[in-house]
Amino acid sequence: MVNDLVDLMRDSADDAPPDDVDVAAVVTTARRRVRRRRGAVGAVALATAAVVTAGALTWGGPGTGTDGPVAGNPPRPDAPVLRLADAEAAVAGRDYDELTSYTNEDLDADNGQYLDGVTDDGLVLFQDGPREANGRTTTYALMDPATGEKDWLPDPGIGQAQVWPAQLGRDRLVLLGLDESDISDDGMEADLLAYVFDRDARMWSTTSWRDLPRVEHALGDVGPDGRLYVTTPDTRGAIPEGGWPTGPDGDAEDADAEGDTYRLWSVSLTDPTDVRDEQLVVGDVAFTETAMVWTDSSNGDAGRVHVRDLASDEVTDFDPDTGERCNLLNLGAVGDRIVMSQYCGTYAEGERDDRVQILSTDGDQVVTIQDSDAVGWLPRGSDVVNLTVHTDDGDAGTYVYDLRTDRFLRLSDTLSSWSVGGSTGEPNQFFWSTPVNGGKGATQHLAALRD
Amino acid sequence: MNRTDEQAFTEFALASRTRLRRTAYLLGGDWDRARDHVQEALVRVYVRWPKLQKQGGELAYARRAVASVVIDESRRRSSRELPADPDLDRPSTEDVAAAVTDRAALMAALAGLPPRQRACVVLRYFEELDVRETAATLGCSEGTVKSQTSRALTSLRSAFESSSRDELVFDVMGRQ
Repeated sequence: MVNDLVDLMRDSADDAPPDDVDVAAVVTTARRRVRRRRGAVGAVALATAAVVTAGALTWGGPGTGTDGPVAGNPPRPDAPVLRLADAEAAVAGRDYDELTSYTNEDLDADNGQYLDGVTDDGLVLFQDGPREANGRTTTYALMDPATGEKDWLPDPGIGQAQVWPAQLGRDRLVLLGLDESDISDDGMEADLLAYVFDRDARMWSTTSWRDLPRVEHALGDVGPDGRLYVTTPDTRGAIPEGGWPTGPDGDAEDADAEGDTYRLWSVSLTDPTDVRDEQLVVGDVAFTETAMVWTDSSNGDAGRVHVRDLASDEVTDFDPDTGERCNLLNLGAVGDRIVMSQYCGTYAEGERDDRVQILSTDGDQVVTIQDSDAVGWLPRGSDVVNLTVHTDDGDAGTYVYDLRTDRFLRLSDTLSSWSVGGSTGEPNQFFWSTPVNGGKGATQHLAALRD
Repeated sequence: MNRTDEQAFTEFALASRTRLRRTAYLLGGDWDRARDHVQEALVRVYVRWPKLQKQGGELAYARRAVASVVIDESRRRSSRELPADPDLDRPSTEDVAAAVTDRAALMAALAGLPPRQRACVVLRYFEELDVRETAATLGCSEGTVKSQTSRALTSLRSAFESSSRDELVFDVMGRQ
């Protein structure tokens, strides 16, 4: 008999007590740590102009040439502006109807069950795990939001891999993941895998595309033509020599970053040999029913916005007039609206210039929601811009902006550490979450805005 | 951190915490401390998250953070505590009798290693990192990883022999 070192270590580590790593506490502690850094620098900046310079120099890393937090207030965008305080408190039954909710009491104790999105025919994709209680694998059900009744689907064979819904249709469900058995040497890229559930046949299949280069993230958009559009890394924005300006504890300030670019590909969800190089370098991409919208780059200066009419292939482009220091965080589009969430730098007293800029597809400025810590996103196919705000100054909570009616509503004044996402079946639906059990758990809500 | 980043971080933390905690346990030998070490490491990951996402290598950074937290903690403990771990060069009959399973023997043997040697073994044989990756994780040269691993394996094998356990084997050609 022999003892194999690898087997012994695995056996020892497998004999673990229930997982008690408190991710909610991690997020809370980390937010506090980040805020403390920004607050400390802000306090210096507040004193006098001379000290402001000293504070800024403290942030400036060697050889960076890029400003850290700057004095004064964030500049006002050249557009109609809303502040968080302009939001009206939403009232259930008047402004929206809650369709269903689900509560995980203690996500610290184990992973939980989640509302992952809504199918085109109005059923909720309900995700279970991976948790200790279900053998550390992920299973799914389709849940009727009216009754809570669940139709459990066969095991998709996902195991513990992370996957994201890309299409929740009447005929099929498409979840995207990465092939973790074949990750690049630097650990940054892997082959894309699609887990496709045929709802009529009630069978899962997996599809991968040999001719598709490795991707960074298991993200993609199904375009109006039914093809899956994904991006692969092209160029990475340069990090200044010596790194980003940082505070004493290393918090980075990367406003006005040079963006990243990606090559755009499209693939068939049914034919693994059908891979098309779209011959386009993009930043972020989004689709409406009639147009493809993209930026020059992302995670930095967005550059210009391009709009391709999918019927005529005609392309127009315009300068979105984002702020000089704005980094594009995400892009969404629906109908004739484009939504761009941006981080535009940190100013005196730690005030962040965060923006959710809404434009028309012709480039007209509709409105910009500008406030510290306001981060927004537009779920695929939705008319409801979601905003979440983490602050200590009373603005924390979840907000929604209705693109159809231009209503700006505040849903809650608390924010769960457990974020939710996913597309919704109807344009007026949206998800949000609230903390429970002292922040150890969360309730996810699915609601529909009233007209 | 913006909402998208925080959602990505939360998903990453939920997905990686079990694995990181096991690594932390093997590095430190205590499940409670492993939880604390992973939580502190994840806080460090959160603070760096936007840059990590820009540069990639989130798990590698998290693993490095765990190793760093454990090693830092072991330094602090060794400076203020008397060593409580068994001296494997001179195992007592009582020690051996207490290690009633091979797993217990392994944990006792790991506890006898200096922190960096222990980290080399865990990262190489449990995390299955190669020499280059291990060196990057520990912030040392590849030569140091090789020499520390070699010494650690010699000590572990000796500990198993001394405690009359079955022979301890490892894939020397494949990993050293």
